[in-house]
Amino acid sequence: MKKIVLLLLLFLFIFSGGCWDRRELNEHAIILGAGVDRRADGACELTLQLARPGAFGGGMEGGGAGNVILGQDVVWVVSAAGEDIYDAQRDLARQVSRHLYWSHNALLVFGEGLARQGVREATNFFHRHPQSRETMWVMVAEGTAKNVLQSHSELEKTSAQAIGFLARAKAGHAVKFIDLIKDLASPGANPALTRLELVKQGEPQGPGTEKKYEHKEVVFTGTAVFRDDKLAGWLDKQETRGLLWLRGEMKKGVVTVPSPVEPQKKISFDITRSKTKVEPFYDGGTISFLVKITTEGNLVEQQSKEDLLAPGVLPELEKRLAEDIEERCRAALEKAQGEYGTDVFRFGEAFHRKYKKEWRELKNRWDEEFAGAEISVTARVRIRNTGLLTRRASLKR
Amino acid sequence: MRTRLRFPGFLFPRSKKRKKLSAGRQEVSRPAKEGGPPEMEAAGGGAGAPSAAGVSTSVKNPGWKELPLSSTLDENLQNLKAVFAHCSDIVFREFNFAQNKNVRLALIYTDGLVDKSLVSDQIMKALSLEVPLVTSGKEIGKEQALEFIVRQGLCVHQVEYADRLEKAVNAVLAGDTVLLVDGHATALINGVRSWEARSVEDSLTDKLVRGPRESFVETLRTNTSLLRRRIKNPALKIETITVGRVTRTEVAVAYVEGIVQPGLLGEVKERLRRIDIDGVLEGGQIEELIEDNPLSPFCSINHTDRVDKVAAQLLEGRVAVITDGTPYVLTVPALFIEIIQDPEDYYQRYIFSSLVRIIRFIAVFAVLLTTPLYVSIITYNPELLPTPLLLSIAAQREGVPLPAFVEVLLMEFVFEVLREAGLRMPQPLGQAVSIVGALVLGEAAVRGGLVGAATVIVVALTGVASFSFCYTGSTTVRVIRFPLLFMAGFMGLYGVLISVFTLVVHLASLRSFGVPFLSPAAPLVLSDQKDFLVRAPWWAMFRRPRLIAGVNPQREDPGQKPRPPAGPGKAGR
Repeated sequence: MKKIVLLLLLFLFIFSGGCWDRRELNEHAIILGAGVDRRADGACELTLQLARPGAFGGGMEGGGAGNVILGQDVVWVVSAAGEDIYDAQRDLARQVSRHLYWSHNALLVFGEGLARQGVREATNFFHRHPQSRETMWVMVAEGTAKNVLQSHSELEKTSAQAIGFLARAKAGHAVKFIDLIKDLASPGANPALTRLELVKQGEPQGPGTEKKYEHKEVVFTGTAVFRDDKLAGWLDKQETRGLLWLRGEMKKGVVTVPSPVEPQKKISFDITRSKTKVEPFYDGGTISFLVKITTEGNLVEQQSKEDLLAPGVLPELEKRLAEDIEERCRAALEKAQGEYGTDVFRFGEAFHRKYKKEWRELKNRWDEEFAGAEISVTARVRIRNTGLLTRRASLKR
Repeated sequence: MRTRLRFPGFLFPRSKKRKKLSAGRQEVSRPAKEGGPPEMEAAGGGAGAPSAAGVSTSVKNPGWKELPLSSTLDENLQNLKAVFAHCSDIVFREFNFAQNKNVRLALIYTDGLVDKSLVSDQIMKALSLEVPLVTSGKEIGKEQALEFIVRQGLCVHQVEYADRLEKAVNAVLAGDTVLLVDGHATALINGVRSWEARSVEDSLTDKLVRGPRESFVETLRTNTSLLRRRIKNPALKIETITVGRVTRTEVAVAYVEGIVQPGLLGEVKERLRRIDIDGVLEGGQIEELIEDNPLSPFCSINHTDRVDKVAAQLLEGRVAVITDGTPYVLTVPALFIEIIQDPEDYYQRYIFSSLVRIIRFIAVFAVLLTTPLYVSIITYNPELLPTPLLLSIAAQREGVPLPAFVEVLLMEFVFEVLREAGLRMPQPLGQAVSIVGALVLGEAAVRGGLVGAATVIVVALTGVASFSFCYTGSTTVRVIRFPLLFMAGFMGLYGVLISVFTLVVHLASLRSFGVPFLSPAAPLVLSDQKDFLVRAPWWAMFRRPRLIAGVNPQREDPGQKPRPPAGPGKAGR
């Protein structure tokens, strides 16, 4: 008897918690991308790109599972304003019939206006929310975030997914939310986020596609550079490459240099492995940094006609490539040191690691110190492989 | 030895009860016993093993069992006819010995259980017509008749004596022919058993590509002969016991002496001896009466109808319980891992066998966990899915009116119904049911928007996976799946975790005849890992399962790995 009562009690305990947060898939409004803008009146505007699962086909008539049904909107972009982000979300909950579901949100876009005023306040909600992921990509939109989210992708199902794929392919300087938080928390680093822009991009081609229409695709057009949490300015694509080299985040990419023999013709080099070593020096007065970049890669295209097997040709090419890399780094450094006066390269952290005591005095005015620091960049390039060809077929012996 | 003294019923040739008759038996039946067909031994066994329970079958005249046989034929016949009243299949045939009206004989047997040509040619014709030819007219009197019949008259390979009515009755029921001689209080039991039986065929439940196909049949003696043919060694012992007050079913305990642990053997016999039931129609009844964990969904006694599998189990030190009337032989101890072991694993090349075994292992967990995980992930933790998959599943669920849990439960129900229908339908229709069920119902359910396509896939995967390992195991896993599904529906991954945890604790607590059910995984037995998730090559598996064959673990000489012969050239180097 006692046993039965105990067993019943156990079941009661176990099952009274049952179905606690059970929610069927079709009660979720799946958020694919979120954007935050600051309105002129100071209100926070939250824009959400919600998936409309009905338009994804999914085994029902018309289109196989996961295929987009033509003529149907794949996403629904809603926005609402509030005093802060959660307030705006509450307002959205009154417009959206389903429960907002953050776990699959892969993209957070800050509008340019908000970024200029500071993104710190806008990150707290996403950091605190149990559903929101720290691995989502954080980017800055040229213009408003709402605009960017209100686009669609020609290739992917949604623009948010397209941006996610671009970011994962390391097409630019893609930053995850957790890295933004770290950069914001660290006095020795400033955030640098991808810049998003809507660009008129190609025309859709296909049988029956006669009517041409304006389509703007979201593309990466550089990097937004922050000073503390405020947007200081932009880096263009070339400078972004420099940023990646200096941050040691260059995992893949292409370097194109003019041929040493025929300067109007180009030679391209594909990076397979790269390492950046930053060493700070401090003598009590001046701060200097020695940046050593070691890169390996393959030669992938050669428009000029030099014989790669001839002695001295490859070392010469390697030298040219190294110079190009150094040049790009210098361009990025000039912008960051001169124009914006912000350390987006995490050099402060490298300094902190080596000069712990001195860092205590310097950290509060690090960006100024960084602007005045002397930084020398040296690159070393190794060409490992020249593709399937070593000699051009037309090259005469 | 202690066991034998305590339970003489098991070893009738050595038991006290048999000692009285051993002299006669040696003279008469020994020579026949060795070379004859399997029925002979059955005759001895059936007649010799007294009813273990010792309970009367006849309610009307409970006293007849104690009656000795009378020396008057008429009285014996009267008693027997009273016992066999209203048994239309019992034949009483009276005739005279050697055309001599003074010596009357009576033949009693069960119609259908004896070889009629043997009865008429070798008993009746021999005794009534051919004896005079041998004796050349010399008349044999009543007194010498019995001795003469046994020595010279009968042309039957196995003859036994009975001096009690009960024994004669049992012999008739077991299919032997009882010959009563007027003036003698001893009946002759002639082993001429023969009845309609299914021939030895392919196993219906354990299919295989490579390996022996023979399976057991319903006749106990045929089954023991099949085993004997695999293990031609006097160490293969087959002891018989009668179980079932009414059915008096013969149950044989088979083991290989010298490999089996005496404690295990004693335990099996002891548990069998304790059974008191009116009838045993299948080994399953015995299984449930002697198993260790009667309340567990897991069976700690295995069964198979594959001869080679039983032989292999015996060689590993297990004990087999063969029940008359069923092709399924019980083997103990049974371990969890036997769910994924298949006889074919040991015949196919070990690399392939290991792969298949790992796949089966995964399939067990697939059957158990796919649907619960599916339900808990899509209703509680959709963040675990990749976004494109989530969108695809969400799209399928868009029009579905039921919660995912109910949806899955419904599909599982439909699948189980289809499976059962396919099984029970008359064979020509079975195929149609599965096709109609699988294709039409599934497709219609998805098109009708009742269930999502993903649900159908998940349930179908579970269903197909459940066919990939042994049937007994799959029935168990299929049962456990439902509580797991409920836990998943109520509490999501948390519920699944609780269930799996409980399940593992339960499994670890189980034992089968003293052997931990999860061994050799828990407790970990390193040498037995060779026959666990992978099947090591035969030259490497030189030990028997340690916890089962404790006394004699060496299976073969280690170091038999084939290698090139050490030729003269190599030896010189």
